[in-house]
Amino acid sequence: MDTLMHYAWLIPLFPLLAFIVIVSFGRQLKEGAAIVGITLTAVSFGIAVLIFWERFQGGGTDYNFVIDWLHIGDIVINMGFEVNPLNAMMLVIVTLVSLLVQIYSKGYMHGDERFPVFYQYLALFTFSMLGLVISPNLLQVYIFWELVGVCSFLLVGYYYFKKEAKAAAKKAFIVTRIGDLGLFIGICLLFWWTGSFEYGAIFESIALGRLEPWMITLAAILIFVGAMGKSGQFPLHTWLPDAMEGPTPVSALIHAATMVAAGVYLVAATYPLFIASDTALTVVAYVGGFTAIFAASIGLTQRDIKRVLAYSTVSQLGYMMLALGVAGAAGYVAGSFHLMTHAFFKALLFLGAGSVIHAVHTQNVFEMGGLWKKMPITALTFLIGCLAIAGIFPFAGFWSKEAILGAVYGAHRYDLLFIALLAAFFTAFYMFRLFFLTFAGKARGKHEAHESPRVMTGPLLVLALLAVVAGFVNTPYAPLLSDWLLSTNTGTAITSLFGEGSEHAAAWLQIVALLISILGVVLAYLMYGKKSISSDTIPETMPWLYQLSYKKYYIDELYHNVIVRPLGWLGFVLDVFDKYIVDGLVGLTAKITQGIGSLHARVQSGQIQSYGAMVIFGLLLLIIAISLTAKGGGLFG
Amino acid sequence: MTVSISSYLMVALILFCVGLYGALTKRNAVVVLLSIELMLNAVNINLVAFSKFGLYPSVTGQIFTLFTMTVAAAEVAVGLAILIALYRNKETVNVDEMDQMKR
Amino acid sequence: MTGEFVAFFILSLLTIGGAVFMISFTRVVHMVISLGVTFISIAGLFVLLGAEFVGVAQILVYSGAISILMLFGIMLTKHDANDEGTGRTWKNRFILLFVIVLFGLLFWGVQNTPWPAPPPPADAPVDNAKEIGIEVFTKFVIPFELLSVLLLVALVGAIIMAKKEGDNE
Repeated sequence: MDTLMHYAWLIPLFPLLAFIVIVSFGRQLKEGAAIVGITLTAVSFGIAVLIFWERFQGGGTDYNFVIDWLHIGDIVINMGFEVNPLNAMMLVIVTLVSLLVQIYSKGYMHGDERFPVFYQYLALFTFSMLGLVISPNLLQVYIFWELVGVCSFLLVGYYYFKKEAKAAAKKAFIVTRIGDLGLFIGICLLFWWTGSFEYGAIFESIALGRLEPWMITLAAILIFVGAMGKSGQFPLHTWLPDAMEGPTPVSALIHAATMVAAGVYLVAATYPLFIASDTALTVVAYVGGFTAIFAASIGLTQRDIKRVLAYSTVSQLGYMMLALGVAGAAGYVAGSFHLMTHAFFKALLFLGAGSVIHAVHTQNVFEMGGLWKKMPITALTFLIGCLAIAGIFPFAGFWSKEAILGAVYGAHRYDLLFIALLAAFFTAFYMFRLFFLTFAGKARGKHEAHESPRVMTGPLLVLALLAVVAGFVNTPYAPLLSDWLLSTNTGTAITSLFGEGSEHAAAWLQIVALLISILGVVLAYLMYGKKSISSDTIPETMPWLYQLSYKKYYIDELYHNVIVRPLGWLGFVLDVFDKYIVDGLVGLTAKITQGIGSLHARVQSGQIQSYGAMVIFGLLLLIIAISLTAKGGGLFG
Repeated sequence: MTVSISSYLMVALILFCVGLYGALTKRNAVVVLLSIELMLNAVNINLVAFSKFGLYPSVTGQIFTLFTMTVAAAEVAVGLAILIALYRNKETVNVDEMDQMKR
Repeated sequence: MTGEFVAFFILSLLTIGGAVFMISFTRVVHMVISLGVTFISIAGLFVLLGAEFVGVAQILVYSGAISILMLFGIMLTKHDANDEGTGRTWKNRFILLFVIVLFGLLFWGVQNTPWPAPPPPADAPVDNAKEIGIEVFTKFVIPFELLSVLLLVALVGAIIMAKKEGDNE
């Protein structure tokens, strides 16, 4: 029976086709490249929705299709694709956000000289991300993982003539590389121990107990290191805020909705590996929790609108990792749910920020203000995004955040619960600080701002709508998503281990969370909206605290001095070695040959007496040779 | 003490070597020609000595010597003519400076 | 101590001395003169070897014609220039070495060859010129004629070579 799921492989193919077309005809198309990208991504989105719907209806069967790719001795490596609830959901999210970002970019990047190049990179990225999501085995995931990293590098460094953009692109690539190394080692170890890259085979080996506990822990932690790199967990988070040097649509697509979610997706996709090791889960939970509060505390003081959003992304990713780490069916569902809602409202916030930047030509919030009246649509959608991320009822963020809190509480991790609640408070506070500074009050900026064109506000409205309703797929009263996600093989593995669990917290926890968020909003209003409390109290009373937060806890400086500079010296030493010793040897060989040559060239001097001397010399040799080899001893016999 | 063939051959050898040294070392072209004549004379001595003391003594050696002398004379004449022509063109008789055949 | 030996000794001394002095003189004219001495001594050696005709021819051709030719050559070129000596350059030392080695090798060769016993002294005095005449005009007549052609060619060639360029015929 040929269901639509059999054609899931088409989904990444349309963006790839868009890439090829734009690369070939970009120069002629110019801004027409956007139409190519948008239409093809829209087709992918259509197929993704259809497949999602089919999987949703179809009950508990995943679809897996592989073909033999390489034969190495006895080992066969496959290539193919898989459709299960988790990645069906991811397919829809990625295609939808990519489509909206491409529509938005038509307005945002209008007039840019390298317009087609931008769409090329976007198409390539969409292809890579979709390929990553439907991969059925770890090797294929790794291939697309790297490809996604490359696209991120290209897009962050899009304004390559700017020094900061170049440095940021390099930093993004190198820091994620560290994570990728861990992932690669983890994949290799798993292959070595289980003989296969396929998810199914690996999970089966674990279920059958063929791997020792320490092996499972090691592999899980290494895979998590990869996820840390891509998802910007501490201490590999430093690249994400710097990656804001890329154009804002890029930040929306990659660094909010999709690529950074790849890490969370990977942990979720290999969840049976993690739940087999308590240590790994604890590591994930604590790293996630720490990252959440750490990033949130930095976001409190930042002045660049995009940087605040970047730290907020890091913090929210920490939340997702925290959810996954506390285990249980509840954690798995909560993490995936938050992944989906975050994609929508973070993309919304970034695109809104882009709209603001497009209008006022600055990114410093202290130069903005009073934009509520001038950019009503942007302001309204941004407000919805802030409400969603702060977790205010009944927006999407409320449902997903309380799902996470509920899972943490249900796992009896009260220390992490406290951290999560504190981070929620910070989140609400700094998001509304951002909102009030940008849109409320008097205009501090110099430019005459006006609303963005429809092609940019359209996607904002769509995302705002999603930010409102997306939460309703998994309320405690109708846990549709939860049931669906857990109905797969992975899900049954989880529930068999942890039981169904009470995924949703008691009502009192929901109310407490809501109150904390509202408290954050109110505090922000007082400090930045009405200005009744001075925003300078903490900077003045505890300047060192302010500085720590503003300077991002000096982590970048630490990395630079401890790691980057010694490596730079090592590089310099090696360069000198290469230039003088290796090149010197090569040059020496050349010079010796040349020297011998020119030495012998002196023979051709034109001096007849030299020639005569050589004749005599030859004659002597001949005489000696003949006399020595003559019969009977010859001359010396 | 008789004068055996080897003594004559020795004399010829010494003359030859002296002439060879002069031909290869001297800078004046005329002196080079002189040294070549010396070498030819050494050969002549050898030939005549062999015609008397050799394995098959006959007069052929002396006839050969006459021929050699003739050829040597012709060679000197032509050589000097060349030398004079060269001198007219290059104002020098140093063989060191006659290196046009360098390449 | 036969007379032959004494004569040989003196003549060879003159020969070698003349050659060595030729090499070591600085002025070209002196060189030619010592070479002339060498030539005459060689003629004496020829006579000692019983080749009187050759000896006379030697005097006629070499010390007569060739030495004068050389003097002409010297006079028509830079005759007052000194040959600034050979100098002790690398090249000259090498050549000296080669020459000495060559000398050594041939010396060894000569010494180690079993020469046949010298023939008994001639009983009847043989007329050397008559002998040579008979051989040349019977066995070697063709080379003899060719040699005259060679001399003609050399004569013509030398005149053409030494003519001033651009002269009208």
